[in-house]
Amino acid sequence: MSDLKSNLEKIVGKGSVLVDEVRLNEYSGDQSFVAPRKPDAVVFVDTVEQIQALIRHANKTLIPIIPYSSGKNLHGATIPDQGGIILNLSNMNRIIEIDEENWFAVIEPGVTYRQLQDTLLKKGFRVMVPFGCVPERSVLSSYLERDPVLAAPSFEHGNSLILDTELVLPDGELFRTGNWASGGRPGAPNGPIRNTLSRLWTGSQGTLGVLTKMVVQIEPVPQAQKFFFIPFPTLADAVEPLQRIQRKEIGTECFLLNNFNLAALFTDTWDIPNRFPVESIPSPDFEQLRRLAPSWVLTVCINGPLRRTEEKISYEVEALEQLCDILNVELLESLPHIPAAQTTMRAEMLRPWSILKKFNYKGTVHDLSFKAPLKKIAALEKTLLDQALKKNYPLDDIGMYLLPLERGRGLHCEFDLHCRQSTPSDGAEWEQVKALWLQASAELINCGAYFDRPYGAWAHMVYARAGNYTQMLRKLKSETDPNNILNPGKLCFT
Amino acid sequence: MEKKKCIPGTIAPEVYKALEDIVGPKYISQDRAIIECYSKFSVDSGGTLKKHAKDPSNIPACIVLPASTAEVQAIMRVCHRYTVPVIPFTNGMITFNGPPTPEPTVCVHVSRMNKVLEINEDTMTARLEAYADYAQVQADAMKKGLWNGGSPLATTLCKLSSQSAFAGVWQTDHKYGTLSRNVVSIKLVTPTGDVIITGSDTVAGVDCFWEYGPGPDLFSLVRGSGGTTGIITEVVVKLHAWPGGEELPEPPAGRPCIHTYKEAKYDTAPFPKHHKLLWVEFPDFETELEALRKIGHASICAGLNATGVYNAYYCSQTQDLTLDRVANKFFPPYNLYVIIAGFVSEKQITYEENVIRDIIQETGGTFLSEDYKDDVLYALAPWNLDCIRHVTGYRMNRHAYCGSNILGGPVDTVARKTREVWSKAIDTFGETYVTDRGGMDDTPFLYSSNHSGRFWLTEADVYPDMTKPELLQRGQALVACGIVNTIADKFGPGANGLGVSIEPITSFMPEVGPNAHVLFRKIRHIFDPSGICAPGRQVFTKEEYDNFPDEAVAGLNKLRQMHGMPPVEKK
Repeated sequence: MSDLKSNLEKIVGKGSVLVDEVRLNEYSGDQSFVAPRKPDAVVFVDTVEQIQALIRHANKTLIPIIPYSSGKNLHGATIPDQGGIILNLSNMNRIIEIDEENWFAVIEPGVTYRQLQDTLLKKGFRVMVPFGCVPERSVLSSYLERDPVLAAPSFEHGNSLILDTELVLPDGELFRTGNWASGGRPGAPNGPIRNTLSRLWTGSQGTLGVLTKMVVQIEPVPQAQKFFFIPFPTLADAVEPLQRIQRKEIGTECFLLNNFNLAALFTDTWDIPNRFPVESIPSPDFEQLRRLAPSWVLTVCINGPLRRTEEKISYEVEALEQLCDILNVELLESLPHIPAAQTTMRAEMLRPWSILKKFNYKGTVHDLSFKAPLKKIAALEKTLLDQALKKNYPLDDIGMYLLPLERGRGLHCEFDLHCRQSTPSDGAEWEQVKALWLQASAELINCGAYFDRPYGAWAHMVYARAGNYTQMLRKLKSETDPNNILNPGKLCFT
Repeated sequence: MEKKKCIPGTIAPEVYKALEDIVGPKYISQDRAIIECYSKFSVDSGGTLKKHAKDPSNIPACIVLPASTAEVQAIMRVCHRYTVPVIPFTNGMITFNGPPTPEPTVCVHVSRMNKVLEINEDTMTARLEAYADYAQVQADAMKKGLWNGGSPLATTLCKLSSQSAFAGVWQTDHKYGTLSRNVVSIKLVTPTGDVIITGSDTVAGVDCFWEYGPGPDLFSLVRGSGGTTGIITEVVVKLHAWPGGEELPEPPAGRPCIHTYKEAKYDTAPFPKHHKLLWVEFPDFETELEALRKIGHASICAGLNATGVYNAYYCSQTQDLTLDRVANKFFPPYNLYVIIAGFVSEKQITYEENVIRDIIQETGGTFLSEDYKDDVLYALAPWNLDCIRHVTGYRMNRHAYCGSNILGGPVDTVARKTREVWSKAIDTFGETYVTDRGGMDDTPFLYSSNHSGRFWLTEADVYPDMTKPELLQRGQALVACGIVNTIADKFGPGANGLGVSIEPITSFMPEVGPNAHVLFRKIRHIFDPSGICAPGRQVFTKEEYDNFPDEAVAGLNKLRQMHGMPPVEKK
């Protein structure tokens, strides 16, 4: 161990290598069901050159490297399944450039959503943020892991937000995509080579390279926003209105919450946690809101741009009202029992982390995060509820969040199960919910749910159904990372 | 010209027999008259030069026409077993050479796989066979209130499968992005005969609705691979809301090609329903760029482009008329057009037009209208249809098109840079035809490729007379000069702005990536361990690299040095 430490210190300097047990334990697990495993060392890096040197060192010594930016993945992606060195990138946290003319920001992996959004807002810009992300989560990792942003319903604003990238390949070589590939100014994904190449590294959980810089789209903060709420008694009732609103291209942000998540979002008694798992805190306010809230609420946000702000909002509102009349659904500007709905939602569009208050309910949240076509969502909800019933899990304790993708081509779905953290004296609830989570995952996949980001136990379930794709990924890994040093054990890689 | 016989290579009889057993004798041929038809692609200067030189290496040894993915798999397995090179072929409208090596090559023409298999209204997708074209998918999708989001400027006859691997630039890229943003899934037969499916479709039991595969996304390796990863047999593309009605108001075909002939029904088309096209001219380049930037930032419109002198090529009925309009600057030298549609309601059109009028007033532009240059507006009428379904791409009256210099980036820099790079190339080597200068002295072709106008593509093309080898060579030099200049100036995309690198640029421009060829060589190897699919086209194997002629390397190094870059030594 002392050899390892001294070798690493030769690369990154003294004080940047952790090997003491207490600190290593902090990196051994997260709040997920993924089994913990302690790393051999944690190394803080400051430069791309240090990353290259560490990867070359790992190739010689065959010690795994696990890229780690903020540790806020919450799905076990940075747990070192086979031990190794945690490559902590959090010190590389510079916002290198904000281009106000061409609307992009150049960031390092340690830049967090809170940091970037706060900086951008001072200049009148915003970065698109996923609903319920941890504010200290790395923007780069989040985009790389394809966390869907709140603007995902809009084809123009919600997907493909990555422009140029810089990364270190598994052999230690530096590589760039987009305009950056030619060595010049960034600002476009379509570089001189394969203009979707950066997609290779998305969803890869650090198994194919270490991203060191990313250029992300930013855009001006809307001049005005108007929110509408449409309540529904069941999820099935919401499907057609959601589809029709999206096909009409009304609004930018748009999402469905069930009463559990709605109550968690709006309750005043819980704080937004910043460490996970959290202490469970009973909240009568949450319980009351959960009882009173509609079963489902669709939120539609209409944005007014710089030019002719009200004219734009006006025609979209008129179209939404007409559509709701035709569909015979209620269109509300406020929510019963939640007087501050408009104000809260406005704030959430920029800092959408109030929903993290849900962690206070029991301490840990285990989501079933997948994608599905609209037509299947009601059946998939029933699949989960049936499994919960079988395992005696209270149906009211399931939080649900649905986000239409690209005008309703599909949905991003997060079904949450809540439980208390396992302790040496009591692990029964943990084991019970874990069993439900595993069984429900398998059943959802059987019913057509698409787990496109296969974390932890989902990986085997998904890759077992994708034969040739899986084989090709393995060949790719073997050819580009022959010593299997980058985050081994994740996805379909051994 | 030297008199010599041009004798194409042949494949071994047992290979031919094995292929014949797959497709049947009707769908395979090594008849000289047939294989010659596949020996020069329509925009291929390299292939044409080989014709002039009576070099047989561009003539495939045989043509195979499979009818299904299973047949393509069987063909690939035979070729893999016998190590016979293969090239995929759709309608031959690309700038790459035919068989890239002198080895006898099997050309797989997928023309029998030409159906739109499904329009899925629920997931807003269209599943197409490899030879289905834009016109087909649009005709079928529009009946259901959907469309694919654009059509290429090289006509709607282009096949979406090959464009998935190569290109796909549309006039509506501003709203929808290029084709690369619009592919949900591809079915690819690899050179070893395996089938790889990308997107959600790759997972058994999952619908085809999402473009990312589980974990790392393999589509990224096929896109831009220039056919080196295999043959695409199916493609699933995104569809979007279409407010324009079930049928497009197409003008009738059959206009006599006489430039004095005037018959409105042939040359004008009304806008599609709930669409509008606005043309604006500007006093100079700077005001034009300012307007383009501001409209981009307004995040409105379905399309935002500038066509400049290209209007003369697209909208003139004869070569004489084209040249006359170029010489007399019939079309405004500094212009833009926007495509507006009412997706939400008619009021969206009003709103967007109001915003554009505000911007045009701020920037000093003038709308073409019945009261201002109505004759020019009338002449531009083909765009009314072409902005949605581009049919006049190959009506362009120029000599043959044989290459492009396509840059990408922010509108200000990219517009200026394309003029600078292309002017330098023409000043160095001379033009091949007067139309090569299109955009150099006025507006280059500009396409917004992002809804907020963050990044754009520009294009400068070369149009030599294909009967003159010296002009073809000059055309190649112009394109190569532009590419090397762009890379030397660290300005992307450069080589092929659509994100396709080709050899020898890939291997002899190590600045790109850097060393993109090293990674690409690995990628090629995992898809094609025997190196049989479009060999030498996108990235050389080590052996191909070693065998690349020294004189060609010297030519490239001369260009490199001309642009201040050190020579590359083969090692």
